[in-house]
Amino acid sequence: MPAPPSAEPAASPFIQIRGLHKSFDSQKVLQGIDLDISRGETLVLVGPSGEGKSVLLKHIIGLLHPDAGSIQFDGTSLCGLSERQLAPLRRRIGYLFQNAALFDSLTVAQNVAFPLIEAGIKNPAEIKSRVQEALEVVELDAHKEKMPINLSGGMRKRVGIARAIVGRPEIILYDEPTAGLDPIVTDVIDHLIKRLQKRYHVTSVVITHDIASVFKIADRIVMLKNGIVYFNGSPDQLRHSPDTFIQDFIAGRSGMTS
Amino acid sequence: MDDSPRGPISTLGRAVLNFINYFGQLGILLGEGFESLVKSKPRLRLMMEQIVRIGFGSQVVVIVTGAFTGAVFTAQSYFKFRDFGIESTVGSIVSVSLFRELGPVLTGLMVAGRVGAAMAAEIGTMKVSEQIDALRAMGVHPVDYLAMPRFFAMTISMPLLIAEAVAFGLAASWFVAVLGFGIPSAWFWMHTIDHTNLEDLSYAMIKGLVFGILIVVISCHQGLSTTNGAVGVGQSTTRAVVFSSLALLVTNFFLTLLLNYIFPMGTIT
Repeated sequence: MPAPPSAEPAASPFIQIRGLHKSFDSQKVLQGIDLDISRGETLVLVGPSGEGKSVLLKHIIGLLHPDAGSIQFDGTSLCGLSERQLAPLRRRIGYLFQNAALFDSLTVAQNVAFPLIEAGIKNPAEIKSRVQEALEVVELDAHKEKMPINLSGGMRKRVGIARAIVGRPEIILYDEPTAGLDPIVTDVIDHLIKRLQKRYHVTSVVITHDIASVFKIADRIVMLKNGIVYFNGSPDQLRHSPDTFIQDFIAGRSGMTS
Repeated sequence: MDDSPRGPISTLGRAVLNFINYFGQLGILLGEGFESLVKSKPRLRLMMEQIVRIGFGSQVVVIVTGAFTGAVFTAQSYFKFRDFGIESTVGSIVSVSLFRELGPVLTGLMVAGRVGAAMAAEIGTMKVSEQIDALRAMGVHPVDYLAMPRFFAMTISMPLLIAEAVAFGLAASWFVAVLGFGIPSAWFWMHTIDHTNLEDLSYAMIKGLVFGILIVVISCHQGLSTTNGAVGVGQSTTRAVVFSSLALLVTNFFLTLLLNYIFPMGTIT
């Protein structure tokens, strides 16, 4: 099915992806992704598992390099940049990993303080207050001295969110921020994403399989399938799409009978 | 996929390519290390932590290794030297051997086993649990944060650990020779000091530095290139110890030839 008309604005995009291809050995994951992300919007990436959503997110921050195609971040091409050249750009991005990827050897507070210290903030009072603020947002300020190993999966993810937002990035990439969380915390995280957008004009790219979250937070929804953009439009356009695959995906229908 | 059996030439060619590729990767890591020296900020706290782990934490194993090597080498030398009536010179052969070969090599092997394995396992676990990607995502170069503090800690710790191993080896040698076999202490020390010179100490320190660099580069490379989850961490850990130990033994031979050219043995100072 061809992608419906794009809902992207005409203004110069914050992130511009053109013809992105990526393969791992013989497995073609991305096969020509074209996508623009505007400053301040919340874009939700959906699609079946294994269709390259996380791979696309890692390309946006330069953790993976494309086989072909280009990625522009605020007018700067990421292609061909070394790790050291990418570092200043990456400090403008917050990234929540699927499994949170907290540092085992650091406490919760030290994990959250890490991006601030690495960004060169030396004032301990400022670091402390910003860590406190970030942990309060995810309601984990009472657990700041714990080691990550002593946290539940959901708590680890919330610490990961605190670490992603503490540096006040311009864009936050969330890889399944609510997977494994209970419905109440999921709602807290959904509201947090929207609050960051409204208060700080933060751009968000969110991968999620939680359809309720999708419609709660998305300004725009992009569905990946077979390595290409299968759908790119507003939540209303997705909801009313005549495409049976999309409708089955939204409704969670596998077609199997018990 | 080509399932046909590979001929010996093809297998040999592949092994040579893998070997060259491996050295290329080590070279790239070394290059990134030099770049880090110039471009990254010093991480003193991390370096001190690593000195505690590598240097302070390895002392017991190094002391035991040095002491018992010195003791057994003294006993064996005494049994043979006694036949020629030169048993009082046993300290000199033990001292030179400890400084030039046994101290650096055995300390290096023990550190490769203890520290190299820990480095590869820790960095490898960080790699497979995306912690290294998290570092990169926050604009931190993994070589700056993980490899360089270990590199500095190792280059500082290894010569000191070797000095410690040699010192305890000589002390054990004295116990065995003087208290065990009744060699007069004055004779023991006279021969030991007469036949040990600054060049022997230089041997130990230079070898310690080179072995330390070998262990840290090989182990960090194994950790940073870990894939395939827990199984991959195990493989990286094993490879770090095996490759470090083999590299250390092979390098030791060529380093001995080179150092003997610089500091020729056979003159008594």
